[in-house]
Amino acid sequence: MGNIIKGPSTRELMQQLVTDSEGMTVNDRRDFLRKGIAAVGGMAAATVAGGVSAADNAMVNSTNLPPNEPSWGRMLGHGVIEYPYGQPSKYESHVVRRTVPWLTAESISSISMTPLHELKGIITPNGLVFERYHGGVPTINPEEHRLIIHGLVERPLIFTMEDLMRFPSVSVIKFLECPANGGMEWRGTQMEALQFTHGMLSCCEWTGVPLKALLEEAGVKPEGKWVLAEGADGAHMSRSIPLEKCLDDALIVYAQNGEMLRPEQGYPVRLMNPGWEGNTSIKWLRRLEVGDKPWYHREETSKYTDLMADGTARKFTFVQECNSVITSPCPENPIKGSGMIEIEGIAWSGRGKIKQVDISFDGGVSWTPANLKGLVLEKALTRFSLVTKWDGQPWLLQARAIDETGYVQPTLQQLRDVRGTESIYHKNAIHTWQVSNTGEVKNVQVS
Amino acid sequence: MFKLAKPTLVAAAVAGSLVAGAVNAGEQFGLGRTATAEEIAGWDIDVRPDGMGLPVGSGSVLDGEGLYEAQCASCHGLFGEGEGRWPVLAGGQGTLADERPTKTVGSYWPYASTLYDYIYRAMPFPAPRSLTPDQTYAISAYVLYLNEIVDEDFVLTNENLADVKMPNEPNFFVDPRPDVANTRCMSDCADPAALQVTGSIGGVTPVGHFIEGADGPAASHDAQHELEKKMEMERLKELGVEVEEEEASSEPAALSEAAVAGEATYNMACVACHGAGIAGAPAVGDKAAWEARIARGMESMISNAINGYAGDNGVMPAKGGRADLSDEAVANAVAYMAESSQ
Repeated sequence: MGNIIKGPSTRELMQQLVTDSEGMTVNDRRDFLRKGIAAVGGMAAATVAGGVSAADNAMVNSTNLPPNEPSWGRMLGHGVIEYPYGQPSKYESHVVRRTVPWLTAESISSISMTPLHELKGIITPNGLVFERYHGGVPTINPEEHRLIIHGLVERPLIFTMEDLMRFPSVSVIKFLECPANGGMEWRGTQMEALQFTHGMLSCCEWTGVPLKALLEEAGVKPEGKWVLAEGADGAHMSRSIPLEKCLDDALIVYAQNGEMLRPEQGYPVRLMNPGWEGNTSIKWLRRLEVGDKPWYHREETSKYTDLMADGTARKFTFVQECNSVITSPCPENPIKGSGMIEIEGIAWSGRGKIKQVDISFDGGVSWTPANLKGLVLEKALTRFSLVTKWDGQPWLLQARAIDETGYVQPTLQQLRDVRGTESIYHKNAIHTWQVSNTGEVKNVQVS
Repeated sequence: MFKLAKPTLVAAAVAGSLVAGAVNAGEQFGLGRTATAEEIAGWDIDVRPDGMGLPVGSGSVLDGEGLYEAQCASCHGLFGEGEGRWPVLAGGQGTLADERPTKTVGSYWPYASTLYDYIYRAMPFPAPRSLTPDQTYAISAYVLYLNEIVDEDFVLTNENLADVKMPNEPNFFVDPRPDVANTRCMSDCADPAALQVTGSIGGVTPVGHFIEGADGPAASHDAQHELEKKMEMERLKELGVEVEEEEASSEPAALSEAAVAGEATYNMACVACHGAGIAGAPAVGDKAAWEARIARGMESMISNAINGYAGDNGVMPAKGGRADLSDEAVANAVAYMAESSQ
């Protein structure tokens, strides 16, 4: 419960007390609740950014602390297959996707964000992968799902899921990012949490078949240059994909992180265009049509084009360029106290591997190299780290990533100078967290 | 389901021998079968700027007007101005270089074919793929008319759609990125005295998620609608407008067993339209909208909900488009909506 911006509400504290007291004897429970409620009354109004010890204490039942034997050591827990499909601990119930309701008219055609501030390593658990729907999540019976490949091909083909899963499979770890990630902040900051500034981003191990293998099965005619991918959902989402990408690293995937795709992620099968804007990775994929020209459908004209300051607009802006953000500290993860701390974050590039990440403590005046840790994979989230000392000094904390092409993540001013502030998509600017002398972290922009 | 063995080495070897010497590497696995022309035709709904894919058909601006008002106006506004946060369809021409550009079909979209394609594949929002080609031509014609791209006597057909020129077409160009070249400066990269630090505008941001929990105003579209409704009432009151206070439901009417059972279905399947009352759907809680319907009896409402219903103000697709729902689940959801609206 430490990872919140401010203290939980009285109502939440009360609920927590009741939950925590489950399993106690009647006397223990009565005593615990009495003490707890008194504590809640004392701290309900307290803002606790930068140190949630008061809230923590209110939650902790001291009879479970040493030298006492905790309650769970004096009883038995539940047995196997009580939960045939396991769930996270009830104490992790705050680790959830969240939405910003005023971004969209309603929740069916909308977006939610991944709680990046809670994640470890580079893999996003399936239940926390950000959602983006244009017509809600369809309920598809895989036995009734078909994928048709037609158009400029020698043999138009229709596949069942069984057919698709008989091809030799490949598994790759790739990030998936909505190009609108961060797009609410071209003019200025609006979001007071990492989950909302950068949470349209996830990274999974995807398993499926190279699209190349399917296209070879159908035999693309020489005049075929583009492929229209279309979903089976009510929006029938469609995008034109250049044939080069389809023959390069595009995949038809049916699994993520070891299990079949979640319905939210396109069950039973989706397209995956590594490193490209998430919208092109059509979910619930039902049709691939090979053509000689792009289709200019709604999602590649009205949307997912980038309006410049002079009124012209960029089309087919596919690549998610090199980007990074510090995940600890961040607004949801304030610094808890003086001493040695690890500054951690994630970096990614749609053009390949991350080569280097630098960190600035002074708003970009000077920079210190950070270390990459764990796996460093092409077009995947890459974790970076810098251990340093914090003694209450205010920081303007930034990360700046460089990818293997040598591209250096730009400043927001550099992007605005070229694109203006109305392009919505592809804002991959260096991000700034302002750390106050209490350890509290705010989202700011530096110019 | 999916309990398939991986292709064995033997199978792979057999398949391999089939392609030996073949020009196309294609038939290595021989999986899938040839799709029939009929199968493809049913799903091949896309159209392109050059007119490829357009079915034979036509629709006039005049025909489109009625269809638009019935099927589209509840979200997009009578003149394409957009209700709430739903997309604005008309106007905005000449604003793309402004401080606050208005991107609409007329001001921004490069091709008229996109209009036909999108309406046919995804509109109206609550009942995708419910329009015929002729209806789609008519609605497309009307939206073009709202944008002053065609005249009121225009008839859009598969023959002339590719000839409709959109004013903004010349202004799109292919992605030139990388378009900025930052360098890996390590020290003295900026003048510390000149740094401007700007924070966020208080109150806009959704930190309420973390303060108020999952039912806080910042956390869901429902809560957001409630909040905005309240703010609008307060604004009207300040202006001295007489507003009808919603009766404070001191004790919510007890729901029947069916209605209680139907709440979950409502939240999952019906709320998209019946929550805010879009596309002609009566909004839950809007007593006036439900009164006449309730008077016609539960049986009629349930039958319309299960089988679908085309009214003057919009279309209720069968089971709200959720064919996976049982008749009982739909009936319960109707009970929930009706009982919550009287």
